[in-house]
Amino acid sequence: MTEIVKTEGLTKDYGEGEVVTRALRGVDLTLEAGEFTAMAGPSGSGKSTLLNIIGGLDRPTSGIVTVEGKDLGKLSGTALSRMRKDRIGFIFQAYNLIPVLTVMENAEYVLMLQGVVPQKRTEKVRSILKEVGLEGMDHRFPRELSGGQQQRVAIARAIASEPALILADEPTANVDSKTAAGLLDLMRGLNEEKGVTFLFSTHDHAVMKQARRLLILKDGQIEHDGGMVEDIEAA
Amino acid sequence: MGLTFAIFFISLGEGMYAQMVDQVVRMQAGYITLQHPEYREAPAVDLWIQVPEGLRRKVERWPQVEKTKMLILGQGIAKSGAGSLAAAIMGVEPSVEFESSPLARNIVEGKYIDEQDNPLVVVGFEMAERLNLKVGKKMVIATNDVHGDLVEQLCRVKGIFRTGSEEMDAYVIQMPIKFSRRLFGMPERSATQMGVVLRDPDNQKRVLQKVREEAGNIHAEILPWQEVLPDVASYIKMDKGSNFVFQGILIFLILFTIFNTILMSVLERKREFAMLLALGTQPGKLRLQILIESAFLGLIGCCLGVFLGGLAAYLVNRYGIDMSSFMSESFSISGFAMTTKLHTKMSAGIILTTAGIVFLATVFLSLIPMRHTTKFSIVDTLR
Repeated sequence: MTEIVKTEGLTKDYGEGEVVTRALRGVDLTLEAGEFTAMAGPSGSGKSTLLNIIGGLDRPTSGIVTVEGKDLGKLSGTALSRMRKDRIGFIFQAYNLIPVLTVMENAEYVLMLQGVVPQKRTEKVRSILKEVGLEGMDHRFPRELSGGQQQRVAIARAIASEPALILADEPTANVDSKTAAGLLDLMRGLNEEKGVTFLFSTHDHAVMKQARRLLILKDGQIEHDGGMVEDIEAA
Repeated sequence: MGLTFAIFFISLGEGMYAQMVDQVVRMQAGYITLQHPEYREAPAVDLWIQVPEGLRRKVERWPQVEKTKMLILGQGIAKSGAGSLAAAIMGVEPSVEFESSPLARNIVEGKYIDEQDNPLVVVGFEMAERLNLKVGKKMVIATNDVHGDLVEQLCRVKGIFRTGSEEMDAYVIQMPIKFSRRLFGMPERSATQMGVVLRDPDNQKRVLQKVREEAGNIHAEILPWQEVLPDVASYIKMDKGSNFVFQGILIFLILFTIFNTILMSVLERKREFAMLLALGTQPGKLRLQILIESAFLGLIGCCLGVFLGGLAAYLVNRYGIDMSSFMSESFSISGFAMTTKLHTKMSAGIILTTAGIVFLATVFLSLIPMRHTTKFSIVDTLR
């Protein structure tokens, strides 16, 4: 298996002087290509911080994080932007769609950044929108969609550029359980059919059950790595 | 809107100055004046000039020139049974004056003089009051002729003018130039000044140069009105200075509003920018986007401002604004009566310069908010 993400001794401190909060305390993690990994843990355990650092949105205080063998700490701002654009897809809890752009325009945004010609990207995004269940909604604006539909647009946007890794920060937190199950099915389907690697954080047991690998974070450290949620509950 | 106001008020200010100058030079010796080289130092009737008739006719044929006028300016005393007053005696060509000078069209009693009138005069309203003069009444003008001898002449009042300027209405007597030549003992075709009235004052420099070339060896200096009427020129310069401060404040307020709008629009869209950066947009491209947006908005704003400001300035240029209810009837500057109907002066220079300053400043001011688009934590903003 190809190694996609590797972190070594990752720490992250917030604040300065005496008021320092340590969000991560030496996280060592390896993700292989094609994994479908959930990350759970109480609020403040460091899940979002870890996702942000792996995604190159934030810098660690110490430690190393590599994505596809590239040390993010050594990349310039421009190279980091390029890495996010070409190799990493993001799905946010609050969808974070651009309100003035249509479904089609939101979904094809990264392709546009990559310089894909309009006709090609329209064809590609149209087929992805069909895949995520948004066929015929190309010209709608985010405000005209339900929460679940908006998150599907975010998923379409994340997978459109065919990234090596998709990071999702509590992707089902703002939708009802039925919609959450549908989104999870979609993500899992993409993982199985297209081999897209997923790392997502969640609080939801039903979501954790869908994961093939489960990480439990507590106080900025990985407390558990591997087994299914039932095993952890049993333990 | 700011640009609209700026263009309108700057055009109005320029219009006021242009009107002021036009009124003054038409009553005096034109935009360009030919006079004896020593006349400026010590104006007196013995410093007369004789302009060849050929030169005068040639200048009058130039398309930029509306009229040429001959003037004799002297000092004297006006006397009547009621008393005496110091007076400025103006010998004028009545037909030319009637067509080009506002004074000749402000007769409130009687009629304006004509070429044949000899020795008929028109006097100001204030002078008539003080000397108890009425149309048809006699008065005596005492003055020194070109030889320095005291001369007196009995005249009859043909008309009374009222310009609104206390100085002019109490001090000026106009008479036909032929009569004044005889009064001062001056030769035929002589005058203390020859004035050139222009159709468009913007041609002053060009015509001045042409007159100087054509005049050749004539014993006269050829001056722009600014040197002949330095008081008026200084007043305009000073007033323009204070107006410049006002215009500066106006433009500052416009630019401050533009800056604030751009800054607020950037800060309001911080989350959007954070998202775009998270998706891999290059910070430089995002900054460029803000710059282009600002330039585009600036361009649209400038086009609208130029259109609305230009339209307002055009309408006031054409129809004028009557300010008589805000200004007193005897509104005068440097002793010269001014009209209370204001007109703007439109020029491509004013409009393009103002719009250009606002546009360039908009683009320049967007550089500061532009820096804000990428100087924040993506994670904190998206949280």
